[in-house]
Formats: sequence, structure tokens, C-alpha cells
Amino acid sequence: METFVFSSRAKITTLSLMGVGFLCLLISFFVDGGEGHHMRFWTNFLHNSVFFVGIAAIAGFALAAFTTAYAGWFVQFKRVWESFGTFLLPGLFLMGVLIVGLFTHGHHLYHWNDEAAVATDAILEHKSSFLNKYWYTFGTIGFMGLWYFMIGKMRNISIAEDKDDRDTKFTYYKNYKFWAAAFLPIFGFTSAALIWQWVMSIDSHWYSTMFAWYASASLFVAMTALTIMLLIYLKSRGYFPGVNQEHFHDLGKYLFAISIFWTYVWFSQFMLIWYANVGEETIYFRERMDNYPVLFWSNLGLNFLLPFLILMRNDTKRKMGTLFFASALVFFGHWLDFFSMIKPGARLTLIELTEHEGAHGEEGDHAEMGAHGEEELGHDQQAEGHDGDETAALAHGEVVSEGDNLEATAGTQNDVRDNGNVHFDASEQNEGVPVANDFAGGSPSTSGDGIDVLASAANRTDADVFEPNHYIQEENVDDTEMLGHLEVAGGHSEATHTLGFKSGYTLPGLLEIGTFLGFLGGFLFFVLSKLSTARIEPKHDPYLEESLHHHT
Amino acid sequence: MATIRIERESGDAESKATAEAYAHAGQREILFGLYDDEVTLLDAVRAANDDHLDIDDVYTPFPVHGLDPLLGLEESRLHIAGFIFGTIGCLVGFGFMTWVFTRDWPIIFGGKPYWSVPAFIPITFELTVLFSAVGMVTVFYIINGLGPGAEPRRLHDRITDDKFCIAFDVTELSTTEVDRLRDYFDRTGVETVHQKTVAA
Repeated sequence: METFVFSSRAKITTLSLMGVGFLCLLISFFVDGGEGHHMRFWTNFLHNSVFFVGIAAIAGFALAAFTTAYAGWFVQFKRVWESFGTFLLPGLFLMGVLIVGLFTHGHHLYHWNDEAAVATDAILEHKSSFLNKYWYTFGTIGFMGLWYFMIGKMRNISIAEDKDDRDTKFTYYKNYKFWAAAFLPIFGFTSAALIWQWVMSIDSHWYSTMFAWYASASLFVAMTALTIMLLIYLKSRGYFPGVNQEHFHDLGKYLFAISIFWTYVWFSQFMLIWYANVGEETIYFRERMDNYPVLFWSNLGLNFLLPFLILMRNDTKRKMGTLFFASALVFFGHWLDFFSMIKPGARLTLIELTEHEGAHGEEGDHAEMGAHGEEELGHDQQAEGHDGDETAALAHGEVVSEGDNLEATAGTQNDVRDNGNVHFDASEQNEGVPVANDFAGGSPSTSGDGIDVLASAANRTDADVFEPNHYIQEENVDDTEMLGHLEVAGGHSEATHTLGFKSGYTLPGLLEIGTFLGFLGGFLFFVLSKLSTARIEPKHDPYLEESLHHHT
Repeated sequence: MATIRIERESGDAESKATAEAYAHAGQREILFGLYDDEVTLLDAVRAANDDHLDIDDVYTPFPVHGLDPLLGLEESRLHIAGFIFGTIGCLVGFGFMTWVFTRDWPIIFGGKPYWSVPAFIPITFELTVLFSAVGMVTVFYIINGLGPGAEPRRLHDRITDDKFCIAFDVTELSTTEVDRLRDYFDRTGVETVHQKTVAA
């Protein structure tokens, strides 16, 4: 079979998946309107758009990288990846919706798009030359458009090559190679910038230099998994007679290797942040480990442990059943990974928004009262990290330790050093450079005598808790705008520290799964219809023979 | 010079029995042909399979793709040893650090807990790799009789360079059978044919 025929059954399946997804999006739009600011809808929309756009772009990257490396084994099914790449066109539309939302303030995904917040927030203001809607628009449309153009160019060259029987000098192939080589550096830089804008800036105070690597590794695994599943499907329909165990073995090795690479990057990001223990960085993991433990740990289980153990053996990569199973697992796993990148940050923005509105009402009064009360009562009282609009409330990020587990080790050095010197007044903190105050805080109730604290800390042998810096709320008062909600100092405000379960945020609910299936259906519908417009195997590609006789 | 890669034949029970019988004599007669190219070699091995000739072994300067299934070799079980050694390394590394930092000599580093798992992971990983690599090499050497001090057993020096060798054990074959083998070598495009007596 030379060309793929998009059977009506496959069409109906993918289209009905799209229908389910559309319905789920619609329901999620209305289910949390008003106070919810449609956050669930927008996060789902962003999550799935970025995930599938990323898969499309990474497919183009794989194509370009393999071509540049003179690889031949994948050539039989390279049309599949070329078709993946064309999904960037509907992807542009999807991301366009988000851009429109950015300009009309239809969504509140990005804290940096809130002018009022930026004005009172030194960090956001500092970042505003990059994190602004114009850059976002330019990056999304410009870079994605460029990718689409270059991948489309490669696809067109490859299709033209099929139709020309007299090309003996490999002109098409050389041309293809040129575009492939040009795509690599461009994609390398632009993809990092885009993933910062799209995903990392949701936690808009937070940053990580590993993030782009981490997200691309995640997408690469997802793309490989989807390719494997699609190829197994296409083979079961009688296409790709030349794609055999050997090719699947190699794809399986990619799945295995990049899963481990993902883990490596994930862990590098985690460990550097954990070790440095800088509050503005640890907040990301603290939030996820405390409030989303299931999501956090299942992410590692699904994306590292399971593929590692399943795909380690030789024969699991050569048997279609196990390979399909592992692919489905990690495909969902990496979708979940993106879920965990997006949802917790967006939920905080949502809380921020709600309290911002509430600041004029009951909650605002409460915050104010708490702040004043604290000033009168002195150091031994709890300060609440409430913000609202009141700068007075903002100013107090005081920590009072109740001697809970978290204090003993991470706090020790600070305690000793500061010896109860904690209280900051508003002016001092507002002038402070971000980060500089990080370790300045101490805890009056546990410190007292430094040596005692050291001794008591040294007696602890069971301190096995992950400990980000819990002086986080002091590091920078400007930052408290957002952090205050998480890092409310001990005692009675402990309750607000833990965010309760919320379907669609803590774990994907049915609506999220439905949306995911909808986007998957849409992706497959587009890819398969593109696949049916050209020969399924590039018959004049100089590496086709090598691909047909590939063995590992 | 590249080391010789030994493709061992799994062999059926009969040939094993013969080999054992002649092990007492301590000598084996090997008839081997040298080929110039791996493609010719693969064709020759296929021809030998078609003629039901009992190949003793095939020696190549580098791993040749597709040779293992032709010779009926089972998949190597070396990686199982690798897994076991890796697991041992993982447990040893993690266990040792746990013992040192929680029982033997607890020290606070950078305000971290004594049992700070993330800090242990890189070292655990390194030890896993180290144990599995060293363990696999050792097992490989022991199984193949290689390693420091071992007597190199090669049929022909150029097998370690650029020649591909098919060897037959002709110790107990009649002259007609040996002639049949020589004829087979000629047919399959051999470059040179040699006979050599080796220790069993």
C-alpha cells in the first residue's frame, strides 16, 4: 500500500474523541466561571495545547537531528514525523486563542499579565521586559510560524523527491539536509524561550535554568511513545511492511534512553534547587511536594521507574504488546508531567486573584487586623503572610517557629546566626534587594541560646523531611504577594498552608481526561489526514534501502 | 590491535560429547578458512547451514550483524549478571551512605537532614554503574578464559585484524569429509585455507 487511506472508521473515532474533548472543554468553562475565573478551562486548554504543539515541534526536531546525523533507519516512517510537524498549524490557532485571552484578560493564567500585580511587585517588574504579552505574542507566532515553515519545507522537499524519477544527484536530499541542519540551532534557542513563556512563567516568580531541557525531554519521550503506538496501529492495518522488530527495538531504546534522560534532567533540577535551598527556587517543589504528593511521586513512578524496569530487558522492546503498553504508560505519564508543571502554579494565581478581590471585603479586613495585631503583640506572635492591597500587611513576613519538624535542621544555622533577631520593619524590607534577605530571618521562640539549638539539632537522626527554606516569606516582601499564601508561618495558620484536594488541580478529573482525549483525537485526525496526502514511504530517499535492511 | 571476538557456538549434545572425548587427547585438529569480507562470510555461513556442515566456530575482528541468528547462538546472559551487580552496587552505595551519615558519623551539611536522600542519589548511581561494569567485565573474562595472564588462543593473527574466519573441528573426520569441507571453502570464495592443531 503506497498511500495511507484514512478509513472512515478511524475518522469517526478521532472525530468523536474531538467531540468528547470539546464537550469537556465546554463543561469546564462553565463549571468554574465567576469565582473560578474559568481557570480550569484555561489551564486545560493551555496544558493540552502546549503538550501537543510540543510533540509536533519535537517530531520536527527528531527528523532534523536524525537527518543531520546521517541516520537512515527511521527513513521508512519519516512521513509520520513530517505529518506530526504539520500539527503546528492548528497549534498556531490554539496558541492564538491564548494570546487573545492575554490581550482581553479573558484568562488569568499568567500572573505577569496582571498590571496591578506587576506594578507592586519588584520581581515581576524586573522580568517584565521578557514576560509581557507582546513578547508572548511575538514568540508564539514568530517562532512557531518559523518552525512550521521549516518543517513544512522539509516535508515539501521530501514529497517533491517522490515525484521526480530522474534526480540522480540527490539534490532533494541535500536540500532537505540543509533545512534540517538550519532548523536545529533555531529550534534549540527558540523552543527554550517559548517554553519559559508558555509554562515556566505560570509560576511567575520562579525560574529554573534546567526547565527547557526538562520540558523538551518530557516532550521527546511523549513523541516517541506516540510514534510507537501510531506505527503499531498502522502496521496492524497493513502499512509499513518494512518496519519490523528492529525498528521498534530502536524506537523502544529511544523511549528507554530518553525516559532516563528525562529523569536525569528532572533530578538535576530538583537536586540543585534542594541543595542551594534558596527560597525563591524551592517554592516550586515545596508547593508540589506538600500539596500535590500523589501527582509529584506518581510522575516519577510513571516516567522513570516503570519504563526503566519494563524496557530494561531486550525482548520487551521487541514485543509489540509490552512496547505498546510501556508507550501508553509514559505517554500518559508525560501528559501528567505537564499537568504538574501547570496546575499548581495556576491554582496559586487563582487563589491570589480571589483574595485580591476579597481584599475589599471581609477577608481584607481580616488581613489588616492580623497585621496590626501582630505589631502590638510583639515577636512571639504569629504573623500572617496575608497581603491584599495593604502594604502594612505585606511588610510582615515574620516567622515564628513552633519547633516543628521542619525547623530542626534547615533552620539551625540561621537560628544560631541570628539569635532571635527577626523583626523587620516595612521600609527595610521594601528596599531590600530580592534574595538578599533570604537567610536573615530567625526564629525567636526556638533560638534563644545558639548552642542549645545546635545540640538539639544534632540529636535528631530521623530528619528525613525534604526541607526547602521555610523562611521563604521573608526573603523578599515584594514576593509575598504570591508567597504569603503558601508560606504562612506556623501555628494556627497551618491550615491555610495545606491546599486541600481540588479535582482538576490536585489530580486530573474526568474533564481533564476528556480534554486530553479530545486533543489526542484532534492531533491524530490532523496527522492522519496529512499522512494520507502523500506516499507513506519516501521512495526516492537515498537512505530508504538502509532503513529497509535495518537490523540491530 | 583489536581484540578477537569469539563467537561461541552453542552446539548440540553430540558435538559436545565428541569434544569431551577428544579432550583427553588434549589436541584438536582445526580446519579453517579466512574470508576477506563480512558479506562473503555471512553467505558462507548460510551455505554451511544449507549443507548441514557443523561449524565449530566463527571468528571476526569485529561484531558482524546478523551472524548470531545464523549460528543459532542464544542471546547472551551477560546482562543478567550486569543487572545483579548493578543492584548490589545500588544497595551497597545507598546502604553505606545511610549507615555513615545516620549511625556512624552524623554531620549536618548545609542544614540538611542527616539522611538526605537527594544528595545520595548521584553517588548511588555512580556505584551502580561501577559495580555493574566491573562485574560484567570480570564475568566476561572468567567465562571466556580471558584476562591478565591468560594465554591468547588464536588460530591466525590476521583474525584480529581484517580477516573473517570459519573453523571446523576435523579431529575425527575422515579424509572424504575433510575434502568435502575444502570443497565447500573453495565454493564460498575463501581466500586461504589452513589447518592447525590446537589444545582442546
